[in-house]
Amino acid sequence: MDQIKGIAYQIAGDFGLAWAKFFAQVIIFIAVYTILKKYAFGPILAMLEQRRQRIADGEAKLEKIAKDAADAAKNAQAIVDKAEADAARRIKEADDAAKALQERRQQDAVASANTIIAKAREAAELEKEQFMSQLKREFGRMVADATSRVTGKVLNTDDQTRINQETAAQVSA
Amino acid sequence: MPLLAVHGYASEFFKAGSTLSFVTNSVLVALVVLGLVLWFSRKATKNMTLIPHKAQNFFEFIVEFLYNQVEGIVGPKVAPRTFPLLATIFIYILVSNWFGLLPGIGTIGWGEGTGFLSVKEVHDPLLRPPTADLNMTFGLSVSMFLVWLYVTISEVGVWGFIVHTFGPKGGLKGLMGAIVALVFLFVGVVEVFSILFRPITLSFRLFGNILAGENVLHTMSGMGGFIGSILAPFPFYFMELLVGILQAIVFTLLCAVYIQLSTTHDDHGHEEAHH
Repeated sequence: MDQIKGIAYQIAGDFGLAWAKFFAQVIIFIAVYTILKKYAFGPILAMLEQRRQRIADGEAKLEKIAKDAADAAKNAQAIVDKAEADAARRIKEADDAAKALQERRQQDAVASANTIIAKAREAAELEKEQFMSQLKREFGRMVADATSRVTGKVLNTDDQTRINQETAAQVSA
Repeated sequence: MPLLAVHGYASEFFKAGSTLSFVTNSVLVALVVLGLVLWFSRKATKNMTLIPHKAQNFFEFIVEFLYNQVEGIVGPKVAPRTFPLLATIFIYILVSNWFGLLPGIGTIGWGEGTGFLSVKEVHDPLLRPPTADLNMTFGLSVSMFLVWLYVTISEVGVWGFIVHTFGPKGGLKGLMGAIVALVFLFVGVVEVFSILFRPITLSFRLFGNILAGENVLHTMSGMGGFIGSILAPFPFYFMELLVGILQAIVFTLLCAVYIQLSTTHDDHGHEEAHH
């Protein structure tokens, strides 16, 4: 034991180990540690953490922006689809309405034409009848005139009436 | 010619036994390193913005890189508590190691005078890398040991630590279980000795490497006259740059691994206990 103690003392002597110097070095080391911890490691680790947090926040915001953009695109597509559907529906409605209107107008036109034709027919019939009666009258007069000339007889009213009736009956037949 | 070109101990500025005897050339450089760290950390973290300026960007790169490394070793739960200390150790050791490579460190000082501002050989250099002083490396490793103990106990508890160290693993029962328990008890005793020796191994590894580097550079600087003193140490500066960062990594990595080993919960054992 004494031998070990002696060796230890010899080593301490050879290498200048002394409590005062030892503690002086320890105190300087503690000072370095305190300075670095206070002025370097603390603020720098805090800054690194702040930067890391900022990057993480940025990433989260980017993801949110990308998601919002996708949602917006989806909504825009839905709006466009809806607008297209509405437009198609309205075009179809307008088309149907136009067809219905066209049909109604066509029907009206046909009805108008039929009315006009009927009226024209009526007018023609009337005109024909008037013409026929005029013709009958004229023919009767001509027959009565021819008869009086041929017979040399002045026809009375009864003769004229009878001749007119016979002539009208033969013309009508 | 002495075995070492550089003393194994730091030179005192005041006479031995005085109140200020602790002020050594390595303490002076440690204070300079402290000032450098303070200056740069203030410069890097002053007016911090989300879009970083150059110093902020550089420091952020270092801090983020170190945090990821520490988190990868000790786990996400323990990382926030241990990161400041492990990162401080890495930065402090690295700056101290590389500071020792600056011209004038170890070559300006007191010795047998040969003329105006000229000495035959520097016996007591004005500046000495803190990591070439056993007081500093031992102080670091003891501090780390205490932090390791605190983190371990607060994480797994005293009983948890004892079970973790001495408890049998594998869940064997009967005669085999008893034999395995004895083996693990013996392994636990060895483990305790290993833990107790950690501050010594950590501190001597760092101290030895840096002191050896200093000696190599000094020896090479004294070879071949003026031109030789410039050319001979030149390749070794690159090696010492590598050694400087390597030793910082080794020290920090070992500390992180020690913490990880003692704070890892034995999930398998817990599952068995639940059954």
